[in-house]
Amino acid sequence: MCPPNDVSNAGWQAELDEVRAAFEAALGRCADLAALRHLEVATLGKRGSVSSLLKTVGKRPAAERRAFGAAAGKLRGEVSAALQRARGQIERAERDAELRDDRFDVTLPGLPPRRGSRHPIAIVQGELEDVFQSMGFHVLDYPEVDSEFHNFEGLNIPSWHPARDMQDTFWLEGGHVLRTHTSNGQVRAMHAFEPPFRAIFPGKVFRYEATDASHEHTFHQLEGLMIDRQVTVGHLLESMRTLLSAVFGRPVEVRLRPGYFPFVEPGFELDIACQVCGGGGCAVCKHSGWVELLPCGLVHPNVLRAGGLDPDVWQGWAFGLGLSRLVMMRYEVPDIRLLLSGDVRFLSQFPA
Amino acid sequence: MYVSWRWISEWVDTEGVDPVAFADRFTLAVAEIEAVVRFGHGLSDVLVGTVTEVAAHPNADKLRLATVDLGERTVQVVCGAPDLRVGLRAPFVPPGVTLPSGIEVRDGEVRGVRSPGMLASERDLGLSDEHAGLLSLDGVGAPDGTALPEAFALEDVLYEVDNKSVTHRPDLWGMYGVAREIAALLDRPLAALPTEVPLGEGQPVSLAVHAPERCSRYLCAGVEGVAVGPAPVALRMRLRSLGVRPISNIVDATNLVMLETGNPLHAFDAGFLRGGSIAVRRAAAGEEMKTLDGESRALTTEDLVIADGGGPVALAGVMGGLDSEIRDETRRLVLEAAHFEPVAIRKTSLRHGLRTESSARFEKSLDPALAEVAARRFLRLVLELCPGARVSSHLVQAGPFASDPPPVIEIETSAGYLRSRLGVDADALSDAWMDRRLGQLGFGVRRDGDALAVRVPSWRATRDVSIAEDLVEELGRHHGYDRIPSQTPLVRPRPPEMSPSRALERAIRQVAARQAGLHEVVLYSFDSESLLRRLGLTSDAPRVALRNTLNADATHLRRGLGAGLIAAVERNLRHGPGAEEPGKGTSVGLFELGRAFLPAPPGGGGGDDRDDSVLGLAPDTLPALARAGDAAGQRYASLLTPALTEGVEAAIGLGPLPLQPHRCALAIGERLGGGAEGERRAQPPQPLSVRLYRELVGVLELLAAELGLGPLHIARQAGPCTLPGGAVEDAPGWLHPARGAQVLAGGVRLGVVGLIHPDVRAGLEVAAEVAVAELDLEAIGQVRAEATAAGRSLKAGAPARFPAVAFDLTVRAQRTTAARALLDATRALLTERGAPVEDVALVGRYRDATDDDAVALTVRVRLREADRTLDEADVPDARALLAELCSPAVAAGRWALPEGAA
Repeated sequence: MCPPNDVSNAGWQAELDEVRAAFEAALGRCADLAALRHLEVATLGKRGSVSSLLKTVGKRPAAERRAFGAAAGKLRGEVSAALQRARGQIERAERDAELRDDRFDVTLPGLPPRRGSRHPIAIVQGELEDVFQSMGFHVLDYPEVDSEFHNFEGLNIPSWHPARDMQDTFWLEGGHVLRTHTSNGQVRAMHAFEPPFRAIFPGKVFRYEATDASHEHTFHQLEGLMIDRQVTVGHLLESMRTLLSAVFGRPVEVRLRPGYFPFVEPGFELDIACQVCGGGGCAVCKHSGWVELLPCGLVHPNVLRAGGLDPDVWQGWAFGLGLSRLVMMRYEVPDIRLLLSGDVRFLSQFPA
Repeated sequence: MYVSWRWISEWVDTEGVDPVAFADRFTLAVAEIEAVVRFGHGLSDVLVGTVTEVAAHPNADKLRLATVDLGERTVQVVCGAPDLRVGLRAPFVPPGVTLPSGIEVRDGEVRGVRSPGMLASERDLGLSDEHAGLLSLDGVGAPDGTALPEAFALEDVLYEVDNKSVTHRPDLWGMYGVAREIAALLDRPLAALPTEVPLGEGQPVSLAVHAPERCSRYLCAGVEGVAVGPAPVALRMRLRSLGVRPISNIVDATNLVMLETGNPLHAFDAGFLRGGSIAVRRAAAGEEMKTLDGESRALTTEDLVIADGGGPVALAGVMGGLDSEIRDETRRLVLEAAHFEPVAIRKTSLRHGLRTESSARFEKSLDPALAEVAARRFLRLVLELCPGARVSSHLVQAGPFASDPPPVIEIETSAGYLRSRLGVDADALSDAWMDRRLGQLGFGVRRDGDALAVRVPSWRATRDVSIAEDLVEELGRHHGYDRIPSQTPLVRPRPPEMSPSRALERAIRQVAARQAGLHEVVLYSFDSESLLRRLGLTSDAPRVALRNTLNADATHLRRGLGAGLIAAVERNLRHGPGAEEPGKGTSVGLFELGRAFLPAPPGGGGGDDRDDSVLGLAPDTLPALARAGDAAGQRYASLLTPALTEGVEAAIGLGPLPLQPHRCALAIGERLGGGAEGERRAQPPQPLSVRLYRELVGVLELLAAELGLGPLHIARQAGPCTLPGGAVEDAPGWLHPARGAQVLAGGVRLGVVGLIHPDVRAGLEVAAEVAVAELDLEAIGQVRAEATAAGRSLKAGAPARFPAVAFDLTVRAQRTTAARALLDATRALLTERGAPVEDVALVGRYRDATDDDAVALTVRVRLREADRTLDEADVPDARALLAELCSPAVAAGRWALPEGAA
């Protein structure tokens, strides 16, 4: 590289050779990219060996300056090129090694992210809300603590009715009640909306009764109400068939039986063809082929009156679906008390 | 309640009708049948026998040898029955017969003596649980050797009817009423119920009704010459089949007539009625009586009693008294047939915890006309059962019924209306069928073309049938609801609304469960007093109290969701290392959406108003309407019935409902050190608390972003705050005063977030740290609405095309300094200088190695212009900026230049 006969070069040439030799030795020891990066800093970095040499150019005697500058610059170029070559080699080697790597255990189990769940009541309620909303039903929400009027009198449940007894109702100091059914929204909805309208109102309800595997003092219902001119039993039948088919995601056969609920007249128990045996008879339907699902009926004229609607002009149908019961049927929940247990071992089975 | 098909068949021709198949029809048209049961079947191999000889068993004291005459032959069998005697007639079971009870009768030896067959008790035959003696067939006319089912009326098919499905039908609580329905369904005639009976002269007792509001009708009659003894086996077995225990012919007769007519009866031993008088009156305060069950009852003035000259002899309509009951020696009796006010009967029955067949019927609003029918049926039956008896008096009557009978109800409607409500036409449901069927059910129909005047029979007129809609039901169920064609309602298309609270709950649920990975719980709305005590959370804050409670622990409605959620976190952490969340070890994250309950603030602003108006629901105008003198109010008042008006007024009188705000509570808890249960109260290491707190704040920030609330502002906790409804709310007791904060957005307080108070933590039964937030949905809704209105909702832009410039600023601060203040000050300073700020974020908070109270805070500033590359003039000099940030005017002592930076 340098003319060997030029004695005046000998001093600085040795310096350069030394730096070069050190670099080459170090380069030979570089096995990975981190070491290479380290070497780069140690040579070409701000205080690196090559950079330091270059910084001395100005301090050299004027005679040497030009030759030394050229040689040092050349050294920097060579070092830089060697580093780049080495980097290319290591990268290729690492890539080849990675492609052959048999130490990576592809069968390790996955690391789970934090995974939540929606409450099963919320899941089913959400589905029902979507179905009903898609069919033009308002989705409403009414107070859990309510007046006797909205929970009882307005629903044609006068003071002598057994449902008014202490054994069924939580009474509050001051005389209000914890609603015993979501029907407390019926009269409220009639006042809030111009007829005709359709609405559902799901929510928490309360009964003053002892709990066991199939009874809870706190559970959930979903009320449905339709107000229109000239509402018939035929309309109720057709509506329930359509709605329940949408809820269950397949055609559902329904039938009506007489049932007594003070706020409807006529009142019905609605049965659906057993979803387990398809109506042939099995243990679930007690071999009848039918399963009792919900009470319903044509809105009683006194309820319409309480809602400010003239029964000669407006009529309606209503139903009260046991949301907790539907959840228990759907997921085969063995004990209703699990629903309000807050137990993640139960709840984490449900999707978010 | 049971229906006896055999009994029904005495009044209706049921030839060719399969009772099992008919049960479906009955369920669809009348009432729900829970089960169809056979009674007395499988006994055709059992024979009537007479015991002719009784001898001792050679090897057993308690067994005897009975010689039984079976007509064509005689057998000797071993028998253990204590009532075995010569002359007794009893069922004999020959060997080789397997009884319905499962007993296999063999020709074997009993204690060394051959016994080819057995004499049977009721239990042996599967007729009841009675096993104290043999089934007595005394009085059966059939000769020995006759098969049991041919000897007397035995085999039956019973419908077990769901009582709940007939609460509104007092007429169906008597067999004859059921027969009326079945006759109509079969379209066959119904035999009349004979009531003629030879009566005597004069008064049985002197009778007075002193409480006419409680007893509209009281009938009595005397009977002499009765001989009390067992009733004939057919009658006894009929009672058995219907779930009533036979006692004696007289008592059985009262019960049988009750089952037949639905009207309970009572028979007194006339010899024990003191003073020859009966008075129907309210009990005196402090009065006592002993009822038939032997219990002493303390009476109140709300109880109605039947009293003789010496005091109460019956708790009216519920149970007779012990002292005047019919006994074997009774020769003269006084019959009571009455009609009592139903609500008072139910209240008395509840007060004394005494529900009887009688009270169950009287509380159903019985037909007052029925009392006389029942009385006459009883007298006929007694004369039949006791050939030597005679009615010794008139049927004497007291009470307002005779002079002031209830008005006859006549419903004016039209055939067209009845059909239209069902949705059927005249081809499907003809006028002729309508008239005939209503007639079969006892309705009087007057028709003028399409117009109808329908008279309601007395047995349906007590609160059951009163309006045209009730007739729709009568026709519908008899026509068959399954024959009504489906009709599609005519609807007008209109987009449905969703109440804002529901919509918000759904949105929050999505973020909390799906994105933040928390589990949703639904918890009870009641506070647990024991929990509040354990966590030190009892306070004087007003709560909504229950008047009746299921247990002493649940006496109030919850004021907030936090405490219940902390308890749920605790319960879940107690279940041990969280197997349900393998990646998270012993951590659990929960949230609940639900209502809290706060007493209405004094001076109005009721729950309704707040709930409805603020959340955007139409206001509940009911009380206002009812009170208003305006046209709408008058129109409303004109619609209301007197009962409804009373209800509206009562509702207004009770005042506003409690506040019932929708809340969302979220909590993340983690066990300390994974230690064993019970090993507790170790001081939690700081990093865990910081991590949980920041994770939860992160969830809130996610919520705010997803709901479009704009940036969240977490402010050091202040004192009490005022809720939107006007109530003043202290920070919840569970919130750590130093490690808790208020959550605000758009200047509105949404709620609180923080770690739990150390006292609460100490009260937990696991060593754990818990971070909790509780937010008000109404406040969130308000901020969301304002953000939307202000156009702060999402606007999509193209990705930035020009590069950003970023630099860091590091200051030294006390640990008490809020990082939020530094971020705000930095942003303000940059904005003031016109720098195009894109983001100011905290990227580092490092504890000083030498000073425990100091931290280094690093803020990263990012600047960007949307339409060009920044040049040097746009970027403030970092060093100068830092100096200004740390100047006394800006920093105000809260932070300073880092050491060595000056």
